[in-house]
Amino acid sequence: MTAATAVRNERLQAQVELCSVRVGKTMFGVPIGHILEIVGSARPQPVPLAPEYVGGLVHYRGDVLTTVSLRQLLALPLCEDAQDILVLESEGGCFGLLVDSVGEVLTVSPADYEPNPSILERRHSALLAGAYKLKDHLLVMLDPERLDPMRLAEELARR
Amino acid sequence: MDELTREFLIESQEGLDRMERCLTDLETRPGDAALLGEIFRSVHTMKGTTGFLGFKRLEKLAHRGENLLGLLRDGKVVASRGVITGLLHLLDGLRAILKSIEGEGSEGTGSDEALMEELEALQAHRGRAESTVAQPPAAPPEYPEPESGRQPAGQSAGPAEPEVQAPTLSASQQKSRPAAEQPEAAQADGGKTRTQSSAGTAESTLRVDVTLLNRMMNLVGELVLTRNQVLQATSADPRMTLLSRRLDMVTADLRESVMKARMQPVSNIFSKMPRIVRDLSQSLGRRVHLEMEGQDTELDKSLLEAIKDPLTHAVRNAMDHGIEPPDVRKMAGKNPEGALKLRAVREGSHVVVEVSDDGAGIAVEKVRDKAIERGLITPERAAVLGERELLQLIFLPGFSTAAKVTNVSGRGVGMDVVRTNVEKIGGKVELDSRAGKGTTLRLRIPLTLAIIPALIVRSLSQSFALPQGALSELVHIPPEKAASSVEWIESAPLYRLRGRLLPLVFLSRLLSPGRECQLASDRDNFIAVLDADGRRFGLVVDGLADPEEIVVKPLSAVLKDIGLYSGATVLGNADLALILDPGSIALKAGITMNSEEEAAARVEENADENRADFLLVEVGGRRAAVPLADVLRIEQLPLARIEYVGYRPVLNFEGQLLPVEDSGGILAQAAGGASQDAGFADSAQIIVVVCRDGSRHVGIAVSHVLDVAAGSDLFEAGSGVQAGGVTMLKNRVIGVVELGSVAPLGHGAPAQEPWTQSAEVQA
Repeated sequence: MTAATAVRNERLQAQVELCSVRVGKTMFGVPIGHILEIVGSARPQPVPLAPEYVGGLVHYRGDVLTTVSLRQLLALPLCEDAQDILVLESEGGCFGLLVDSVGEVLTVSPADYEPNPSILERRHSALLAGAYKLKDHLLVMLDPERLDPMRLAEELARR
Repeated sequence: MDELTREFLIESQEGLDRMERCLTDLETRPGDAALLGEIFRSVHTMKGTTGFLGFKRLEKLAHRGENLLGLLRDGKVVASRGVITGLLHLLDGLRAILKSIEGEGSEGTGSDEALMEELEALQAHRGRAESTVAQPPAAPPEYPEPESGRQPAGQSAGPAEPEVQAPTLSASQQKSRPAAEQPEAAQADGGKTRTQSSAGTAESTLRVDVTLLNRMMNLVGELVLTRNQVLQATSADPRMTLLSRRLDMVTADLRESVMKARMQPVSNIFSKMPRIVRDLSQSLGRRVHLEMEGQDTELDKSLLEAIKDPLTHAVRNAMDHGIEPPDVRKMAGKNPEGALKLRAVREGSHVVVEVSDDGAGIAVEKVRDKAIERGLITPERAAVLGERELLQLIFLPGFSTAAKVTNVSGRGVGMDVVRTNVEKIGGKVELDSRAGKGTTLRLRIPLTLAIIPALIVRSLSQSFALPQGALSELVHIPPEKAASSVEWIESAPLYRLRGRLLPLVFLSRLLSPGRECQLASDRDNFIAVLDADGRRFGLVVDGLADPEEIVVKPLSAVLKDIGLYSGATVLGNADLALILDPGSIALKAGITMNSEEEAAARVEENADENRADFLLVEVGGRRAAVPLADVLRIEQLPLARIEYVGYRPVLNFEGQLLPVEDSGGILAQAAGGASQDAGFADSAQIIVVVCRDGSRHVGIAVSHVLDVAAGSDLFEAGSGVQAGGVTMLKNRVIGVVELGSVAPLGHGAPAQEPWTQSAEVQA
């Protein structure tokens, strides 16, 4: 491998594209590769007796999509207004992630990344995947695989 | 795998399926030249193509088979039972190689020596045939039978009969004549028409990938949703009425066509059964006569796939546990040959597939003892169970009544698998058994997976869909009666429905624990009477919306695990609705079939001959009764939906033309009112009772639907002759609607004697 390609590879690796979303006062980041679509201002249909983290059902391209409420997962008060939905793809299939609003696409460098701090509560560390240090705030990473409703159900059963 | 090989695999498999069918047929008609020709062609075609594709092992085996088949076709070897068994082995061998090609892309390394020797040995009989040339071929063949149960001699020699030769013919003549003439004759009569028709089918049919059909079905589902939404959105705009009605019709037609494209006759799986029955009757030592009915009944391809295993299981069970060995049957005074019947029939929106045998039936006591022994149920619980519920125990996982574990069944993975598989596709399994008389297993399969009629109910200010299949009736409780309608035994709410207590489940309470079980006294209440596998209960809902044809969307596993919903759907108003699963609700609410109800059911069964349920309707101020068994549904629809063919009112009902009987003059009256007031025309609603009369459907326009009641027959005083056309309902004599008197469409003649004229006398 020549020095030139090594440098180029490094630069490619540096290109981490994230979509920023806001829930409460926190900015979260979701790797862009996992996002299928963003559905604006949706009102999911509640499902009686469903696990608490299920935000309800939405109609998405002919299918019925189960959504996960990030507010519920983070134990924030529930939002009365319409929320945005990130349609995410995970191993178990597609699901929707309910967030307060979707921000912009950011490009960050792996050099700014740090894993979950040790003082993070267990229930949070199970959901979050480290953070990127941006200039004026932290961008907390979400891992779609860990937010998959099926995974959450398993996690809950283990607790 | 390349296109050519795939094509070859599909074709060969079809050929082998055909061959299997022919082989089992051949057993009953051993000399049928057309059958032999067909079998020969299947193997011959396959051999030709294998050589071309370079499948050496397959070619060798097919070649050996072809040799034997050639001799058979030429009448040199007789299709004895042993030969057929050998050919079936050949079939299995060929199938195994094809499977290996499909799976691994190669023919595999197994050895076919044993099989080829078997075929060789069967061919060897030819030598004897030639050595006995001096005898007329009509004489009983003296081929050694490798297996017991030889064919009657006259039958097996059948095909050779026209070829009876003088004993003086030389050996060469004897050899050449049947070879040259007989197949020719066979091809001349049977072969010609077949080639013509098969060429015709090849030109007008087309192989389509199932995934494409699935996708089309999904898209049509989407279209149905969109149509529902368009219909709701445009219902207020008269300019759109015509357009949306057209959209409605086209969608319905398209849906039907796509569904039809996915339909396959049940003969596709029925045709596998003769072979299974044949093999099993040999290995189990049973004598069984298989009868199949309704083979052309069609079912969605995916559903057909899904019931294949359950059906095979059921047949195996019937052979192993049901039908007794011949000597046992003889002792019981039965025909030593057991009867196994497969029947498929369409009933409304379901296809019923039945497997019935006239065997020993299921001994309820044995089932109970076994269930207790296996720890599936406690003796105390078993003691309180009724006969029908005890019978249901055989569907529990890990249950098997077989005295000893056989190869065929009795490993304890039987009926529960059958039930799970059938329920997975929204079907039901019913079991009927009488000790000593036989057992009938009924699989009730929905026509399609994707679209079902449902009633939309409201609860917790949300919409839910209730499949109409489980809905038997709706009870309306006005606010003023709310307080007095529900009766309690401790904490169990009950409703008195025509004198019988119906357990109630409050949907709002079920979905949101902690709510009170109470009927609202400030609005209307509704009870949906549901029947989930014989468990009857009333589901109390807050409100009703229109029935809709809903497209079932699967739910994610997390929500399926709640165990109340079978799916979700998008309604006409673009709302999402969860589909309730009546069976799971009954389970969750702890409702079982109670013995009292069962006893009542039995009494009803006995009293069936002179009692029947009727729908009591009012037609133009008079009362009339419609036999409830004939009522398919009751539709309230806008008057504008009624159209006229000449002077006869008709209704476009689910894409089919339905003649509407209007002897009460309700339509004329409503139309008269509508013409006076243009605004009224759009809003006028009429009620049509859709009934079944034999195979056709007719609609009856009525003013009101009053009640459902049991009627009893009336007998003329003195003569004791049963009075026709009337019944006793609620102590009044009511005229029964003669569905047969509704003239069929196209014949034009109106009903000669309108049934509303029939007597209504105060009893």
